[in-house]
Amino acid sequence: MPEMILPDEARRATEFLDRADIVIGIPSFNNARTIGHVVRAAYAGLAKYFPQWTGVVINSDGGSTDGTRDAVLSARLEDSHLMLLSTPMVAAHRLSVPYHGIPGKGSAFRLIFQLARNLGAKACAVVDSDLRSITPEWIDLLLRPVMFAGYDFVAPYYHRHKYDGTITNSIVYPLTRALYGLRVRQPIGGEFGMSARLVERYLQREDWETDVARYGIDIWMTTIAIAEGYRVCQSFLGAKLHDAKDPGSDLSAMLQQVVGSVFLLMQEYESVWEKSGPTAPAELFGFRFDVGLDPVEVNVGRMIQTFLRSAGELGEIWAMALHPATLAGVEELKGKAVGDPSRFHMEDELWARIVLDFACAYKRSPLSRGLILKSLTALYLARVASFVIETEAMVASEVEDRVEHLCLTFEELRPYLRRHWNNGSATEGGMDHVRHREQSITGRG
Amino acid sequence: MFDIVSKVLQGAGDRLHYHATTYLPSLLAALTLIFSFYVAAVLARWVLHKIFKGLTIDKFLRQSGVAYMIDRSGRLRASRLVAETAYWSLLLSGLLMGLSVFNTNLTTHMIEGFVFLLPKLVVAGLILLSGAWLSQYLGRGFLVWAVNEELPMPRRLAAVARVLIMFVAIVVAAEHLNFARNVFYAAFVILVGGAVLTAAIAVAIATGGNLRHMLEERRLHREERGERSLWSHL
Repeated sequence: MPEMILPDEARRATEFLDRADIVIGIPSFNNARTIGHVVRAAYAGLAKYFPQWTGVVINSDGGSTDGTRDAVLSARLEDSHLMLLSTPMVAAHRLSVPYHGIPGKGSAFRLIFQLARNLGAKACAVVDSDLRSITPEWIDLLLRPVMFAGYDFVAPYYHRHKYDGTITNSIVYPLTRALYGLRVRQPIGGEFGMSARLVERYLQREDWETDVARYGIDIWMTTIAIAEGYRVCQSFLGAKLHDAKDPGSDLSAMLQQVVGSVFLLMQEYESVWEKSGPTAPAELFGFRFDVGLDPVEVNVGRMIQTFLRSAGELGEIWAMALHPATLAGVEELKGKAVGDPSRFHMEDELWARIVLDFACAYKRSPLSRGLILKSLTALYLARVASFVIETEAMVASEVEDRVEHLCLTFEELRPYLRRHWNNGSATEGGMDHVRHREQSITGRG
Repeated sequence: MFDIVSKVLQGAGDRLHYHATTYLPSLLAALTLIFSFYVAAVLARWVLHKIFKGLTIDKFLRQSGVAYMIDRSGRLRASRLVAETAYWSLLLSGLLMGLSVFNTNLTTHMIEGFVFLLPKLVVAGLILLSGAWLSQYLGRGFLVWAVNEELPMPRRLAAVARVLIMFVAIVVAAEHLNFARNVFYAAFVILVGGAVLTAAIAVAIATGGNLRHMLEERRLHREERGERSLWSHL
C-alpha cells in the first residue's frame, strides 16, 4: 500500500532529528484542555525512565481549532521538579504535526508509525490525549517490556468505573479472548507500547483506509499482534480517568467502526480462531493497587426506550442477521421490557449469540454490512441497560466476575460460531420468523 | 323455395368447407405447437429447478433483498426464478409460433409487434427490477439511520424513500417503452422536485450531527450532567 504522504513539517523535523530510540505518539483533535498534561507526563517519563535514550514526543493532530498544537509545543516541564537521580543525558524532542487523509485516530497513528520507522525507533508508545490520570510511570510501563523484555505489544490494564468501557466489556474483550485465546483485558484501551518490528508490520498492511483509520485502530493493532503470534503482555497503569466526552459523538458510527473491524479481522484470521482452544492470561506487569474512580452515570430508562422503539422498527433488518432462536429471544426480551423495565434483563447467552450471529451476517452479507452493524446499536444499548441494572449494587470485583461470566459464555459458544460461520440459515429462518410475526399481528395465516 | 334453401345451405356448406380446409389444419398445427411447447416448458422448468437448486445465487437473492422484495416470505429461490422464466418464455414462444402458422396479416402484425417490443420489455423489466432492489436497499439503510437518529415514524420515512426510488424507476421504464410520454414529463418535473428534496435531506444529514449535538446537550443539561461527563463506550 502506498505510504501516507508526510507533511512538510514532519519531513523537515525527521530530517533534523535524524534518529530516535523511542517515539511516543499522541493523537489529538481539539484536546487543548488536557493534552498539555499528557505531553508533560510523556516528557517526564522519558526523562525519568529512559535518560540514556533519544526520545521524541509526536502529536499527530487532526486539524484542531482550539489551540491543541500550541498546547503541545508550549507544554513545559522543569527537570528540577522531577527530582531525577541522574541528569538526563539526551533531551527529548517534541513535534506537533497535522496528518492528512481520512480524519480519525487510525490516520493519526499511521503518521506516528511512519515517523517512528523513519527515525529508526526501537520502541513506540501511543497514549490518548484526553487522559487526566496519566503519569510518567505509564511511559515506563508501556515501553519497558518492549525495550528490556523482548515483548512486541504492551496493552494497558487499568481500573475503570464499572460502567466505563461498555463496548470493551460487552463485546470486544469477550469476543477477542474467545477467538484468539489470549486474555487481554483492555484490547481497545488506547494506550499501547510496540516494538519496531510490529510497527513495521502495521505499516505493511493494506487496510489502513478502512474503519481502521477511525475508531477501529485499537482492536486492529491488538488483534494483529495476538493473531500473528507477536509477544503480547499487559501493564497495570492504575486508573483510567479521561476528559469529558463529546455527547454528540455518534455511538452508532463508533460501534460500527470498532465491531466492524473485529468482524473483518475474524475473516482474515479464521484459520487462527478455528483452532483456538482454552484461553490463557496475557502476562501482566506493574504493581497492582486500588484507586478511586470518578462516578459515571448512565440513563438506563432511555436505553431501554431506544431498544423498544428499535425493536418495533428493525425486525426486518435483525431478521437478516439473527438466527431464528436468537430473534425469538430478542422478541421475548422486548415483551419483558414492556412489562416491567426495572426487571429488564438480557441473559449472557442471548447477548453472546446476538454478537456471534452479527459476525456471521457480516461475513455473509457484504452488501448490507453497514446497515447490519448500525442496527446493532439498539441491541447493544439493551445489553448495557441490562448490565447496569444487574450490577447496580455490585462492587468492582463482583462486576469483574460478571464480565468473566460473559467471557466464559462466549467461549462456550465457539462451536456455535464455527457451525454458523459458513451457512446462511439465519436469514432464511429469520425471514420465516418475521413472516410468522407479521401474520400474527395482522391475523392472517 | 326448396331450391333457394338448398342453395343457401349449399353456400354455407361450401364456406364451412372452405374455412375448415383453410384454417383447421393451421389451427390443429397451432394447437399441436402450443401443446408441444407447453410440454417442453414444463420439462424445462422441472430440469432447471433441479439444476439450480442450492446454488450460491440463492444466497445472493436473499442478501441483496431481491428475494424479500419479490416474495415477502423471502423464500424465493434461484431455481424457481430461472425455472419460471424458462417456463413462461417457452410458453410464449409456442404461442407466437402457433399464431404464425395462420400466416394472416393480423397474426403477422401481432408477432412482429411483439418481437420488436420484446427487447424493450426486457430492458424495462430490468430497470424495474433494479429500481426495486435499490429502493429496498436504500430504504433499509434509511430505516436504520432514522431509528438511530430517533426520528419520528422511521418506517414511514423509509417507505417514502422506497416509493420515491421506485417511482423514478417506473418513469424511466415508461420512457424506455415510449409509453405515456406526457406522464413522463410530468414525472420529470416531480423528479426535479424530488431531487431538491433529496438535496435538502442530504444537507439535513450533513448538519444532523450538529443538530443532534445541540439537542443532546440541551437534554443532558436538563436531565443529568453526569452522563455527559465520563461515560466512554470504548
